[in-house]
Amino acid sequence: MADTRAAAETAERGGAEDAQAVEALPPEQPGLPPSEWIRKNLFSSPFNSVLTVAFGLLALLIVRGLLNFTFSEERNWDAVRTNLRLIFTHAYPEEQYSRIWVCVGTIAVLAGLSVGLAAAETARRGVSVRKLSSSLVAMGATVALGVVLREPSALTDIEGRVRRDDSGIMRESFAEAMTDRWAWWLAAAVLASAGAALWFGFGDERRRETYVRPVELFMVGSAVLVLSGWIYPWGHYAFADGEFIAEPGRTVAMSTKLPWTVIWLLLAAAIAAGRSMRRAGAGPNFTLALNLCWLACPFVLYWVVLRDPDLDWGRVLSVDIPLGVLFAALGGAVLWLLTDQRIGELGRIIATLLMGVAVLNWVAGFFGWYPMLQKVRLSFLLVALAALVAHNFAGERSKRLRLLAVWVALMAVFHYMATLMNSPSTVETPTEALIGGFSVTLIVASFTLLFSFPLGVMLALARTSRLPIFRVMSTSFIEVVRGVPLITILLFFAVMLQLFLPDGMSISLIAAATLGYTLFSAAYLAENVRGGLQSIRRGQYEASDAVGLTAMQRTLFIVLPQALRVSIPPLVGQVIATFKETSLLAVIGAFDLLRMANNVIPSQTQFLGVKREGLLFVCLVYWVFAYAMSKHSQRLEKRLGVGER
Amino acid sequence: MSNTDQETLAVTQSRRPPFYRDATVLKWLAQVAALALVLFALIFMAGQAGSNLQAKDIATGYDFLGVSLGSDLGSGIDTNPDTSGRALWVGMVNTIRVSIGGILLASVLGVVVGVGRLSSNWLVKRSCSVYVETLRNIPLLVQIILIFAVIASLPRVAIDQGPIHGWLHISNKGVSIPRVHIGDGFYQWLIFLLIGAAVGLWVKRRRSQRHDVIGRDTYPVASFVAVVAAFALAGWFAHPIFGWVGGIFDFIASVLDALTQQLVQLLISAAAAAAAVLWIRRFLARHRTPAGRTKLSDDDYFRVIFAGLAAVLAVLFVTVGWPGFSSWIINSGRDLFEVLGDKFGDGRTGQPIDAKRPDIEQLGNFPNYGPAGLNLTQGLAAVYFGVVLYTAAFIAEIVRAGIQAVPKGQTEAAQALGLRRLTMLRRVILPQALRVILPPLGNQYLNLTKNTSLALAIGYTDLVQVGQTVYNQTGKTLEVVSIWMLFYLACSLTISVVVNFFNVRLKIVER
Repeated sequence: MADTRAAAETAERGGAEDAQAVEALPPEQPGLPPSEWIRKNLFSSPFNSVLTVAFGLLALLIVRGLLNFTFSEERNWDAVRTNLRLIFTHAYPEEQYSRIWVCVGTIAVLAGLSVGLAAAETARRGVSVRKLSSSLVAMGATVALGVVLREPSALTDIEGRVRRDDSGIMRESFAEAMTDRWAWWLAAAVLASAGAALWFGFGDERRRETYVRPVELFMVGSAVLVLSGWIYPWGHYAFADGEFIAEPGRTVAMSTKLPWTVIWLLLAAAIAAGRSMRRAGAGPNFTLALNLCWLACPFVLYWVVLRDPDLDWGRVLSVDIPLGVLFAALGGAVLWLLTDQRIGELGRIIATLLMGVAVLNWVAGFFGWYPMLQKVRLSFLLVALAALVAHNFAGERSKRLRLLAVWVALMAVFHYMATLMNSPSTVETPTEALIGGFSVTLIVASFTLLFSFPLGVMLALARTSRLPIFRVMSTSFIEVVRGVPLITILLFFAVMLQLFLPDGMSISLIAAATLGYTLFSAAYLAENVRGGLQSIRRGQYEASDAVGLTAMQRTLFIVLPQALRVSIPPLVGQVIATFKETSLLAVIGAFDLLRMANNVIPSQTQFLGVKREGLLFVCLVYWVFAYAMSKHSQRLEKRLGVGER
Repeated sequence: MSNTDQETLAVTQSRRPPFYRDATVLKWLAQVAALALVLFALIFMAGQAGSNLQAKDIATGYDFLGVSLGSDLGSGIDTNPDTSGRALWVGMVNTIRVSIGGILLASVLGVVVGVGRLSSNWLVKRSCSVYVETLRNIPLLVQIILIFAVIASLPRVAIDQGPIHGWLHISNKGVSIPRVHIGDGFYQWLIFLLIGAAVGLWVKRRRSQRHDVIGRDTYPVASFVAVVAAFALAGWFAHPIFGWVGGIFDFIASVLDALTQQLVQLLISAAAAAAAVLWIRRFLARHRTPAGRTKLSDDDYFRVIFAGLAAVLAVLFVTVGWPGFSSWIINSGRDLFEVLGDKFGDGRTGQPIDAKRPDIEQLGNFPNYGPAGLNLTQGLAAVYFGVVLYTAAFIAEIVRAGIQAVPKGQTEAAQALGLRRLTMLRRVILPQALRVILPPLGNQYLNLTKNTSLALAIGYTDLVQVGQTVYNQTGKTLEVVSIWMLFYLACSLTISVVVNFFNVRLKIVER
């Protein structure tokens, strides 16, 4: 989601900003000769020399320890490789797996379009070839160093167990170890020579002027990864007669090389398409449509693609479609009437009456006076809310028509989603939740952000408003939620929410947890937005008052856009925090990837007690995503120049 | 402006709008409606919960705190608590212990890494950034569970018992390090230290004055430390000569014991009345100017009346409201001084401070660490190192940002004056950076305290874990959640008060 919002933000801002950013880039420093560089950066003073030696030894020790741990013959990495499917999707049925690939593909296409639209046209952006080639050589050197550092491999018997004698584990000699690791030497050589080729392939002049965009680097890297799937069977393993083989048969995991190749191609095509659209001058309307797609993406992917709802067509034709049409027409008529500039007092009276009816529906539902579908109640409420704010959007005919179109689209989406959510799922899983593993992490995180963002903005507005009751309510909510650990809130929602619900209503664990996450994250988001709100100078308020804007217009069109722009960096920070916090799902009993690594895999008979491998892999997955997001937010911060204005 | 225009303006201003367009009315209406909605939702849900609980035959209330828990706790000040309330208390103490220890270590580590990120040494800078970027981007829960798994896979404790020949012992039972504990003569030695501090302060002031006169460095701080060290060294051997101090405390205790309840009531009442009278007199005196007394506002009269009323209330409280209060004061005061008398008492000639090395003992079937060393059990070690390493990464970023916020001119000016790097850091940069650092640092301390609750995942008995055990056995989820919330809110409040106190002191004094 971070990328969504960030990409949206980037896409909205045109080429002018890019040009500015390029000018602000400092010229690359001319490199020092290596001996000079070492003297200046490592041994400039006696104290510095001591530090260098101490830190160098420490770093070598840590790296050596990690390498020995990772590549030790006692490690059972098969526990991770065989369980990749479990870690990422838990018990989602294998024959329905194409649905997951559709989801990944959709996200890839959207991301590609966003990135392509945002890609800078100017040349001096990204990583210079000079830097690229030197880091490739450095990577090669690091690999070689790692090969030398790692202790000689242990000797194993035929069944793969480590052989021991009286003095401990039996190991091969150093020379043997070095020759055994020829593949690693080869990798180091390939990396270093690729760097060297880049260095010498581009002449001196061009080397300084040629830049590689991060997108291209990413595409090359991912292409290497995808291609490696065709050579090495990453997750393609099977148990046959208790033996573990990398062969077809009844595979435990399944091959994903074909889908990933297709997705890589889709991504590349989408980026290209986005770029050509940008060159063709795709306007803000296209960006808006893309952002709306991002917004709808979690709902559609989860409720439509993954769940595959079983529609009752008789009911759809007789109830759902007529209701949707009715509300689209009713709301449209009300909106058309109320956005007329001449309506005056009558508009307010109508809006108040509609609100009264909407509230009455809920009260009646509570006391059981008359039955009504929940979505009808919600639609009524939406109509009333739209009527209440309609006068802010009054204007000429074309503007009103556009508003009408938005309303009809909203009603269509709302009724469509409501119908789908009320239909049973056709995908049958052995577990209570539809999907688990890393997918549930992503789902919970994206829904949390989608819901907590508007809630957080409203809380922030209430906290800074001059209306005392709103202020007190919002402040106490925010402070109480922020003063309490997330785990207590989650436990409360997981264990207790059922008690607070009316009879006959139930809520799944994941939904309850998402609710808890939403409230928690909204309180933190509200504080970030409040910071942005407070940075807006009085003059803005006074100016909008002077122009005669209503309070609603002032907030929507003047204050919030500026405040949100300032608070983008902390908001992205909050996105990362929410993503990391989803690991707490494991504690309240949901099957997310941490729980897979910590409880599920160690209890499989083949991998009894194998825990650390899975946990390290989970660390890696979280790290890759969180690190990418934080790097992106740093770039965004620089680009927006928030800190400098 | 023409005449008619002004008239229209006057008319519009004088006529109030109808109530449904009156901004004030509408605002209050909206607020009251929102409040009513929230209250309605809360009452509705409370009612639902009440009936649901009744259907499940669970009574609400805090009686369970006095009932036996029926299970042992892994670690804490009392591993076999007799009641649920006691168990929760043990959990709270564990949480507080991990938090305070974590805050101390994380601050040190964070500052080191944060300064290291700005080092001119490439290797140091790189190592520190790798540390920050790695730990910051992995969820804390995953880190804690990983550390726990690593500790669990360490070699077992050796079977041979007795003291370990080493300072540090790490095994699958956790970590054990030497423990420093208060010895027999500690309190008498403390008197030496106090006297030393007083003398040292006096010496320090004299040296500073001398510095101002002669202009050369007279090392005031160094001499203070030297004096205190000298007294500490002398006290290490000579502390038994203060054995008589215990007698004084014993005497005070016996005097307190002799007091009657009525006498104390009288004393407290007199003190309250005197305080009120003094406060009112001072208040009136402040309002007296050479020209006579200034006029008192309604608020001032109210304050005076309130002061009198408070005194009357205090008197009523000790005499009628809770007559036992006075004897409670007598008893607790006597107990306090008896304990002090015992601690300072005669005949304590042992070492003031003692340290013991870790040992191993086998009580049941398995060997474990004995009570001599400072033991971190597996769970405690995992939580402690988890929160410390994770929070230190964030503190490092805060420290770095704070130092970078100090204008470059300050560094250059300090260098131009010829200050050494450490002096510059200590005297010029850190004091200014601290203003920027402190508020977010307080937030990190808060986060650390709250994050210790992740101990639940690995079964270390902190408040949340004990609370879960309690509600699993008694079904009192709501009550336990309320205790959690109150405890953590109190912790948050305490930390923010402390941080705010320093924040106010550090602020630039403005006119």
